[in-house]
Amino acid sequence: MSASVMLFYYLWIAPHVLEGIVLFAMVRRGLHRQFPMFFLYISFEIAQCFCLLAVSRYVSYFGQVYIQVYAVGLAVSTAIRFAVIYELFCHFFRRYPAISGAGKLLFRGASLALLLMALGLAVSAPGNTPAASLNDATYVALRTTTFAADRAVSILQGGLLISLFLFSRYFVLSWRSPAFGIALGMGTFAIAEFATTALRLYVPISNKVFDRSAMGIYHLCVLIWILYVVRPEPEFRFELKSLPTYDLEIWNQELERLLQQ
Amino acid sequence: MIITLILVSVASLALGLLIRLAKGRGLPGRVLENPAEHMRAVDLEAFRNLVDPDEEEFLRTNLPSAEFRRIQRERLRAAVEYVSCAAQNAAVLLRLADAGRRSSDPATAEAAEKLVQNALRLRLYALQAIPRLYLGMVLPGARISAVGIAERYEQMTRLVVLLGCLQYPTRGVSAAL
Repeated sequence: MSASVMLFYYLWIAPHVLEGIVLFAMVRRGLHRQFPMFFLYISFEIAQCFCLLAVSRYVSYFGQVYIQVYAVGLAVSTAIRFAVIYELFCHFFRRYPAISGAGKLLFRGASLALLLMALGLAVSAPGNTPAASLNDATYVALRTTTFAADRAVSILQGGLLISLFLFSRYFVLSWRSPAFGIALGMGTFAIAEFATTALRLYVPISNKVFDRSAMGIYHLCVLIWILYVVRPEPEFRFELKSLPTYDLEIWNQELERLLQQ
Repeated sequence: MIITLILVSVASLALGLLIRLAKGRGLPGRVLENPAEHMRAVDLEAFRNLVDPDEEEFLRTNLPSAEFRRIQRERLRAAVEYVSCAAQNAAVLLRLADAGRRSSDPATAEAAEKLVQNALRLRLYALQAIPRLYLGMVLPGARISAVGIAERYEQMTRLVVLLGCLQYPTRGVSAAL
């Protein structure tokens, strides 16, 4: 087995083995009840990986059946990823009811704007694809459609997660560690996926290069999830210190004046 | 090829933005150590005067049109500055109250919770008011209503007082800041 093939199998299998750690840590910390969609996503990713491994080993190597199974798996995985993003939005708004209306508006508005952008890019995507291993037209069409759809979804998901980060930044909202890690991993994955699928559609470079880079990025995202899910939430110790006298006086005067109005 | 370059550039920028947003999560921790340093004085009365429709009407009827537009622009620019200051203060108080929410004392936690929600509403209101004020600068004749923000700010400062009293009953209000 060459080093390149070994690297391929490592990048394929290792992240899914590591996802087992994420699942274990989530159950142990009770996070599967807080983030059920993320738990489902990770479980599905593990199941999909081993299903694809079995197909590639015993059914059709990386041929048409593999691509069909991959496409169906990708569609389900994408739908669950949307549910995870919605779960992250809900997680925030439950803690801050004052802005839940604005948050829902943001979610809908950003979804609509990003959907239009994604559709625009999907329409303008080239019809041809880089040389495939099989010349079957159905195979090529399925592959092209899968990558175009994946890119459109990446725009939506990456954009939604950036909107969530911008929203939380403006409102100075505090993130719980696991939620932050999930969002960061998902965002990194969506943006990197967008870049690789864009390159794949427009630049005639070997699919192997794209596959390995996409798998490497996914590996990185799994490590991010492990870091934030396994690591215990930092103990928050906050004690107010007294201020210099002049500051206190200024603030007392200001507050008194405001309260008297 | 040009589309590819644009898309890859957009993706790189998005990734950079994500990392930047993730690195600087909200206000720095030192805000909690010395919140007063990060707060700016807000003259509520002056702000009310700046956005008072009667005052605006008085200026409109007593000043030549060109002079009114110039003065109104100046007034609204000052109002934007006030709203920005109030929003900045709300951010600091929000951070402070968010930490206070974890207090073991139920009364303190409840006051902090109310302060968080009010500070969030203030920032939300500021987000809506600032573009309106800028619009008013572009169209000085248009009616701009931003008086509500003054009430929200007042309500928020009352909660700060309450939170200060609950946390430091012996030291007074200012200890919370």
